[in-house]
Amino acid sequence: MVHLVDTVDVAAEDADRYLEAVRSLGVPVMTDAGAGFVSCASTAPDPGGHVRIQVVWSFSDHGHWNLIRRNLVLDERWYRYGARLAALRTGGTRRFYRPAAFSPS
Amino acid sequence: MLRRFEAYAIDPDADGDAVAALERACRDCGRYIPEVLDSCVGWNLSNASVHLVWEHAYESAEAYRRYMVHPYHAEELDRFLLADSPERVVLDDRLGAGLLGYACDRPAYRMAGGVRRLVLLGLAAASGAGGVAALHEELARAADQAPEMTVSVVAANTLAQAWFDGETAAGPPPRWTHLWEQGFASLDDLAAYRARAAGPGEPEVSGARWRAVVASSTTLHYELSARAQAVHDV
Repeated sequence: MVHLVDTVDVAAEDADRYLEAVRSLGVPVMTDAGAGFVSCASTAPDPGGHVRIQVVWSFSDHGHWNLIRRNLVLDERWYRYGARLAALRTGGTRRFYRPAAFSPS
Repeated sequence: MLRRFEAYAIDPDADGDAVAALERACRDCGRYIPEVLDSCVGWNLSNASVHLVWEHAYESAEAYRRYMVHPYHAEELDRFLLADSPERVVLDDRLGAGLLGYACDRPAYRMAGGVRRLVLLGLAAASGAGGVAALHEELARAADQAPEMTVSVVAANTLAQAWFDGETAAGPPPRWTHLWEQGFASLDDLAAYRARAAGPGEPEVSGARWRAVVASSTTLHYELSARAQAVHDV
């Protein structure tokens, strides 16, 4: 299993809107494309007024991700989801993680 | 072989280091995915609304499919490109040049350096096989008549639709039905060619002669930047 981990910074006042975008737009688009929804979590606001949000999706391997990616590219909803996220975040990263052998998931 | 281009419109608000990382990831791709041949990048110098162009090739559709599932593709290229990625540095593709390419028997496009010019052609649906064939023939011979032009390859833009596996159409027909790939030794040579062959109404296929065949066109050109030893033998 591979985990796709998106970690973003958003202004505290935009955090609820970002989470709602993940819930209402991201989860249906990504799961319809074949990804597993693993988790979505946020931090408390930092002193600078930012919240960090982490969203994790799963798939079996990069061949599986390639099929998911094809489905996303052909889904108009994915572009609206991406535009919505871009309008709300101030920065972030995308990384792919493979679990260590002793990891429970 | 499959010849392939990706052309990106860079978000003006994108972080410069991230844009440089995308440029490097494209240019050096063959170092990490050996199936990627002749990988070069360049910054578009035409007025078309794209900035960074990545040109490369594959020995076969099978090699292309290995590239598609390679971790480097997802983890080092796509994180700067995909619509939902937090690290995206590009804008949506308005030009229809996000992915272009064609199948060929040999790497006639290959250059050791210099300037690449791409003429993107939207051929009229009613142009007919005869008109298309005549256009192909004339453009393919262009290098014989233009001393500055070192490469002239004309082909249908089949890879725009066969982007997923290199063979099967997926998605709508492309805006640009054909590509005319040109090569020049220098920007001076390109300028000399354009002054003589293209003129102010460029591209050179926009004149009355081809009006019934060429419905629309635009051009990109850029100086090639390749990683050392990036040119492979096929």
